[in-house]
Amino acid sequence: MKMLLNLRQDKIGFLSSIVIFVTIMLGVFAPFFAPHDPNQVNMSLRYAPSSMEYLLGNDHLGRCILSRLIIGIRPSVLWVLAALGVSVLIGAALGFLAGYFRGKIDTVIMRMCDTMLSFPGYVMALAIIGVLGVGLQNILIAFILIKWAWFARIIRTSVLQYAELDYVKFAKAPGIKDLQIIYKHLFPLTFSDIAVIASSSMGSMILQISGFSFLGLGIQAPNAEWGMMLNEAREVMFTRPELMLAPGLAIVIVVSAFNFLSDSLQVALNPALSTGQKRSKQESLSTEKKEVLMK
Amino acid sequence: MTVKKYMSPVIFLLMLALLTACSDNTEGGGEAQDDNSTAATKEIIYATAKDINDMNPHLYAGSMPAQGKVFESLVENTEEGIKPLLAESWDISEDGKVYTFTLREDVEFQDGEPFNAEAVKKNLDAVQNNADTHSWIKLSTKLESTNVLDDHTVELVLTEPYYPALVELSMTRPYVFLSPNDFMDGETKSGVEGYHGTGPYKLAEHKTDEYAVFEANENYWGGAPAIKKITSKVLPAGETTFLALQKGEVNFAFTDDRGADSLESESMNQLVEEGEYQLVRSEPMNTKMIVANSSRTENAVSETEVREAIWHSIDRETISRDIFDGTETPAETLFSSNIQYADVELKKREYSLEKAKEILDQAGWKEQQSGAVRTKNGNELAMQLFYDNASSSQKTQAEFIQYSLQEIGIQLEIIGEESTSIANRRATGEYDLLFNQTWGLAYDPQSTIAAFTSDASYLHTTSGIEQADELYKKIDEVMVTTDENKREDLYADILTTVHNEAVFIPITNGSVTVVAPDNLNGISFKQTQFELPFEQMNFKD
Repeated sequence: MKMLLNLRQDKIGFLSSIVIFVTIMLGVFAPFFAPHDPNQVNMSLRYAPSSMEYLLGNDHLGRCILSRLIIGIRPSVLWVLAALGVSVLIGAALGFLAGYFRGKIDTVIMRMCDTMLSFPGYVMALAIIGVLGVGLQNILIAFILIKWAWFARIIRTSVLQYAELDYVKFAKAPGIKDLQIIYKHLFPLTFSDIAVIASSSMGSMILQISGFSFLGLGIQAPNAEWGMMLNEAREVMFTRPELMLAPGLAIVIVVSAFNFLSDSLQVALNPALSTGQKRSKQESLSTEKKEVLMK
Repeated sequence: MTVKKYMSPVIFLLMLALLTACSDNTEGGGEAQDDNSTAATKEIIYATAKDINDMNPHLYAGSMPAQGKVFESLVENTEEGIKPLLAESWDISEDGKVYTFTLREDVEFQDGEPFNAEAVKKNLDAVQNNADTHSWIKLSTKLESTNVLDDHTVELVLTEPYYPALVELSMTRPYVFLSPNDFMDGETKSGVEGYHGTGPYKLAEHKTDEYAVFEANENYWGGAPAIKKITSKVLPAGETTFLALQKGEVNFAFTDDRGADSLESESMNQLVEEGEYQLVRSEPMNTKMIVANSSRTENAVSETEVREAIWHSIDRETISRDIFDGTETPAETLFSSNIQYADVELKKREYSLEKAKEILDQAGWKEQQSGAVRTKNGNELAMQLFYDNASSSQKTQAEFIQYSLQEIGIQLEIIGEESTSIANRRATGEYDLLFNQTWGLAYDPQSTIAAFTSDASYLHTTSGIEQADELYKKIDEVMVTTDENKREDLYADILTTVHNEAVFIPITNGSVTVVAPDNLNGISFKQTQFELPFEQMNFKD
């Protein structure tokens, strides 16, 4: 609760969360919000400019751009969110195992992470798409397969620093079960780290999905997706540049919102950051985070 | 902090150095461009979506516009019929089996080797030694032997009379002539050592997937061409080509040999409006169509009714008007009626989604609920349509057709691939539907129809239809018959069969489009969509 209150005081963070909330709602209830059938072809409206009926105009098949933009939230944002959730879950599970139990489990999981992290993400995704075939589903699978490793690694680091704290040791002494310790004592502490990493990687994942769709590897026609809409607009980039605007801005706004939210979350979860006082532990953690994020 | 203070001027200097380095580069580029614009008065640089590839004219990997510049055939197919080219004159025996050609005496290959009867024999033999590859061209199955009569007279003996023989000899490949010095072990089927033809241009430089330079053949028997240098530059189709044309990096673009325009019509119009370019369009040359794989029994596309329904659900008027800006006319039959032997009365299948639904209903494909994909015996009415990645108009058409088919309850997946991969699918039968086109004036109808029986072409398209055997028999017959009336009847039968079976679903009548500098004269077209007569072009001063 305190976190939410903190967040409310941060204007940018507050605005970002509203943008994200609205986007998600629009996506979930897309058919209600979309003014037209997003796949309705009407050749007589090919490249029509914006009008009262079609607020953002029409694309190369006379389809309503606004409706496509709204329905495009599903693959561009919601499915990415889902994929992110799954890989964070996998990463968290393995991260807690490794960080809490240490020893052999830790070694095995970390070496697996090393292996996964030694492949460049994009190339790995392309390879997986090459094996499984093109399609949104396969890209999401590829993402989950690639991303879990560095979530696992960061969460492990976060768990490590708390696992040695005295009260965790004291909790172990009377024989409280490991799972319960993790759930009761470690999870609340690491949750803030997980939230920050997840929200900050959301932006890059949206960009990557759009990138793959732009290349034609993602969602297949006639379904709408922002990257694909950009690709369709690209063909008339010099004769009708305005078509790039709607999907381009949509991506920019949502990705920025996620990034700002991530920054604000970090501050809200850890007010010390906003005043500039840093404890050495956090500094080391955030540098590691940054390093991984740079990848 | 002090470090930072010192660092910033250093960084600034570095940036400055970088910037000047950059501007040096751009100046260099500018000079190169100036060279171009002065040279632009006598040079053509054309954009092409794919590399010229292996130019071996006896195989099919090469780019036809490039091969057409370098290699020549014995005779030429023109609007007025077959005309002499490397052969001055010819004689056909009474029984139609022996063709005697008198060759031009002043012709040399580009490596100095004389073009004579011996060279003709070597080339034809090399082609015949690889006859399997050439099965689409029926002459390859009927050419029995090539005999040298004297230095400049050569005789072709056929196993039976074959009326399109001269037409097939006039084609861009494979019956064209490569210097015997370039042969490997007397053959060409497994590669050649050079690309010396007799044509107006010779290949000077080739960098795979970048560019190829052709220089004028100053010793060309028809007189050295006016344009001394032609460069074929590989550029992705679409906006890259458009920008390159605007910048002057290339100054020429045309419909490629697989029928894909590298620019969409709106960009072409914009280029013309800007005043630097002209747009020249040929007469309608071919029919752009969707080819259905009738032999794919595991898919619904093998059912005539389904194909008919697809035919009915394509709105050709809209495609012609909105996608092609009226530059291509709707096509209702495989060959337009001005093609020889193709003026046949065929039932027109008008655009009508209602009609299409009715046909599907009757064929047992039922819609369980409105808007859902139709099913029959638990199978969904779903298929795939392949289009050429390089063609933006094909993609738009595919999306448009996808929507229409969805309306009648057919689920269509559209997949864009490279043109070679599409050609490969056509040959292996790995497709349900794909975009294709008839082969153009010089090839229609005889070669396109002969290709119905060819593995590499439309065998998979036609072999699933009920009367396939009868159809193939008629195709064999029509090629050898000498009786004009009988030929007409047979062609009418063949065209009626494939029309009734709806295996070739026509869309529009396509033409070749050329975007060329405003001051280029003499742009004309051949009887094929696959090459352009560059040697006839020249720049106004």
